[in-house]
Amino acid sequence: MTGLGLRRRALLRAAAASTAAVAGVGGCGRGRRSLQVAVVWANDELIRFRKVVANYPTTVQVVGVGNDIDAFLTARRAAGTSPDVAILPRPGLVVAYARRGWLSELTPAASYTAPPGMTDLLSVNRRRYGVWIKAAHKSLFWHFPSMLDAEPPRTWDALVALTRRLGARHRVGAGPAPLAIGAADGWVLTDWFENVLADVAGVELYGALACGEASWEDQRVAYALDRLAELWSVDGAFPGGGRRALLTQFAESIIQVVHHRAATMVFGADFVDAVAAQFSQGTEPLATFRFPGARMVDRPLIVGGDAAVAFAGATGGAELVRWLSDATAFLPWLDAGGYLSPNLAVPVDSYRDPLRRRLAGELRAADTVQFDLSDQLPGTFTGTDGVGIWRIMQDFFMNVTDGMPARDAIRRATGQLAAAAEAARGGR
Amino acid sequence: MSRGPLLGELAVLDDVGPPRRGRAYPAAGVGWALLTPAVLLLGGLLAWPVLRTMHASVTTDGRWVGDEHYRAALSAPGSAAVIGRTLLWALLVPAVVTVLGYLLAAASRRSQEGWLVRLILVVPTALPLVVTGVTFRLLYDPDPQRGLATLLLVRVTGRDPEQLPQLLGPGLVTVAVMSAFVWAWVGLAMLVFRAALDAVPSGLVDAVRAFGGNRRDVLWDAQWRPLLLRTVAVVFALVAVGTSRTFDLILVMTPGSVRDEAAVLSLRIWQTSGATTTGEGAALGVVWLVAVTAGMLVVALFVRQAWPPPQQPAGAAVTSPPPRRLVRLLAAGAAIAWLLPLGVLAATSLQSPVRAATGGWWSSPPGLDSYRAVLSGTELWRSLGFTLVLATVVTAAVLGVALLAAYPLAWLTGPAAQVTGLVLMAAVVVPVQVIAGPLNEVLGLTLSSGTARGVALVHIALGVPFAVLVLRNSFADLTAEQIRAARLGGRHWWGTLRRLARHNRTALVAVAVLEFVQVWNDLVVGLLFSGPDAAPLGLFLAGQTRGFVAGSGTLAAGCVLASILPVLVFVLARRQVVAGLVAGGVR
Repeated sequence: MTGLGLRRRALLRAAAASTAAVAGVGGCGRGRRSLQVAVVWANDELIRFRKVVANYPTTVQVVGVGNDIDAFLTARRAAGTSPDVAILPRPGLVVAYARRGWLSELTPAASYTAPPGMTDLLSVNRRRYGVWIKAAHKSLFWHFPSMLDAEPPRTWDALVALTRRLGARHRVGAGPAPLAIGAADGWVLTDWFENVLADVAGVELYGALACGEASWEDQRVAYALDRLAELWSVDGAFPGGGRRALLTQFAESIIQVVHHRAATMVFGADFVDAVAAQFSQGTEPLATFRFPGARMVDRPLIVGGDAAVAFAGATGGAELVRWLSDATAFLPWLDAGGYLSPNLAVPVDSYRDPLRRRLAGELRAADTVQFDLSDQLPGTFTGTDGVGIWRIMQDFFMNVTDGMPARDAIRRATGQLAAAAEAARGGR
Repeated sequence: MSRGPLLGELAVLDDVGPPRRGRAYPAAGVGWALLTPAVLLLGGLLAWPVLRTMHASVTTDGRWVGDEHYRAALSAPGSAAVIGRTLLWALLVPAVVTVLGYLLAAASRRSQEGWLVRLILVVPTALPLVVTGVTFRLLYDPDPQRGLATLLLVRVTGRDPEQLPQLLGPGLVTVAVMSAFVWAWVGLAMLVFRAALDAVPSGLVDAVRAFGGNRRDVLWDAQWRPLLLRTVAVVFALVAVGTSRTFDLILVMTPGSVRDEAAVLSLRIWQTSGATTTGEGAALGVVWLVAVTAGMLVVALFVRQAWPPPQQPAGAAVTSPPPRRLVRLLAAGAAIAWLLPLGVLAATSLQSPVRAATGGWWSSPPGLDSYRAVLSGTELWRSLGFTLVLATVVTAAVLGVALLAAYPLAWLTGPAAQVTGLVLMAAVVVPVQVIAGPLNEVLGLTLSSGTARGVALVHIALGVPFAVLVLRNSFADLTAEQIRAARLGGRHWWGTLRRLARHNRTALVAVAVLEFVQVWNDLVVGLLFSGPDAAPLGLFLAGQTRGFVAGSGTLAAGCVLASILPVLVFVLARRQVVAGLVAGGVR
């Protein structure tokens, strides 16, 4: 850890060291006793989390720092004023911080059990530096049953066939488009890609790609992209066409389905229902089906999640994280609904809404749980607007919906992916 | 203000310079003491970060790597396009703004309804660029059910929206962002041109006419050569420097899929480095810094001559005929065109959140639901309160620091004065994205990174150079009698300073208003330096654009609420702002 720490920029390190010393003295003098937790959440989520920690014996100050928590924590670290605990949206960050020696090792509560695919992501050299607090189920399609005149597709080929049929109908103006897609948000496209990739590439390649050990020019990556191209290039697949889809954000794509009924199905994570509740017309509830794979069984499950970490040198941080990892800590969140716990010790029956109860069941029953790939990628490769894998997938989407032959689009995309992975490796 | 503002006299004054030395000049020790706050701020928060950026651009972990970062940054995919686009911004947009600003100033100058046109054009100048971005994104929404521009395109061409060019699509997004920028900046250009035109002695026009000159001769001999040439250069430079603000617009207006098609250097640097220091980001930053500084030097040489402050018009007798009908139509048309986006924003804010997300603002009756939704939350109130305190504190601090520093600097003459002017100008144009990483390191040293204190410090450091520049020039422009009176009246240097400052009220008001509006409207400083306890308004609004369509009602309502104060302040003080700018800022 110190070896890696030494590779940090000399000036910054000197600055951090000197200010950390100053801060240590000042901190003791002031005698700050309450714990500080930095989270990415805002609004309702933040309020609910405050309710969660209100039950903790010590006063806990929760600060919502917005989406760029990495920049915030880096700056705080440089200033020597790191919070005691942070809840991070990407396991890649947990690993990076642990390698820099910023975090303290954790022992979760005895009852804490995360799905097998997720626990390893928060460990460095077999030491655990984070525990999962929140999960998102990312392998779901949403639709109104009344708008889908057939059985929900259970295999990828069935989905393609359905899209072709509905697309042809939409082209002649006889019905809504089959799919809504928020391609303006790069993460929507990476979620698509990850579901297909996990299905066709297998656990090893998926994991190897995540930690930068496999080549993105692997045949199976190209195959996954080929499948996406097959679906996305269907004429009339999206309301307004591919160009319009690229200017449609995630929430708007849900509105297209639940309000305008301009599209039949939308792929999205389990938090779709929050948006749908606000914009739905009529009383019909949304139904879901699992992201279809090559086979009827053994479909991989993609999850996202937030992990809690304790910063090194923080007194009481590790205890708070351990307390959070206990199944009972999250009762307020469960009561509010819309929350999926990564902790398998949380009883399925304690979920209020039937959907969450089913998803929690799926989380337990899944043969392979794969964590969101883009969230594990290093550096800028992880993607944000106009950057990294988000941008590459958007380029790919633009090319295949614009009529470029799939082969060329795939070659271009895998080339870009490989180059981005290479650049990210160099930056480490 | 007792003297007649004759052009010739002022030119002579500038050539010789007012007798600046030896009167009321603070003792050397005091002079340095007065300069200390400004020097510390500029040295620590501007000069050192710039040097550190240069250092980082040629090193990795302190090891010399030569031009490796430059080659990597420039050969990265899309870099050439980004640089080309930045140049296009710096050349095309100022040209358009200058031409439009001049035409509208001329058109609205002597007509009855001119004041209304000017008022409408000035309002966008005071809006936060975040609000401008939101406004134009609403206007250009690709869905004909929501976007007025798209709806009009569909109606006019009679084609399916799928076959029409998308205003926010990859092909046109830069044009769309540029149009928003022009909308926001023409008002300022027009104000400056109007001040310049008013400063042209009407006697000159009469003289040209008396010698049989036609309209074109009047324009050329009585306006362009004596004054407008320099005004054009100044406005052009002002806008060119201002184009580095496009960052805010791009961030707000472009969906993620087309952000690269709109990217300019500022955005690319932010995407590469964020608020940290990276080699490639630093290399791009140095390239940009060199270009900006070179451009600034060219302009500085070009407009070396002083710009006569328009301290009139003492009943400026209008002798020339009112503008032609065509010109007046132009003014009226511009007023309508400039009013339209404001109307779109207001109308959208009057839709309920669900209606605004699902249909056009024209399709359902107005209501106050979105305002209710925004105002019932605590976040907007917190942001408003924080931003108000921040802007007030920063403005006061900048005024204080700049006043102290401007006083001794005003008595410098010759090369020393010129060098100080150039250094200050260079400090004004340093783009904050370039130095964000090192700045954060410095803030880390002062324990204020990610805090309200840190944000305020950065704002003060960025605001001081311009304020010093304006105040220094306005001190230097004081007449001999005023200085003598202050010298006699004030017992110590601070008494003299206080008395002199009273004569500089216009410049002080201009600096205060500009600084206040700038901090209030800021996005980039908040984005790069704020933390949990410091959530300025711009950041709050920009954060909501993530789900733009779904949140457009509350977003528009928040934008309207956020714009009221800066617009009021700027509109009320616009005369002082322009007079102060013209007198001090643009030498």
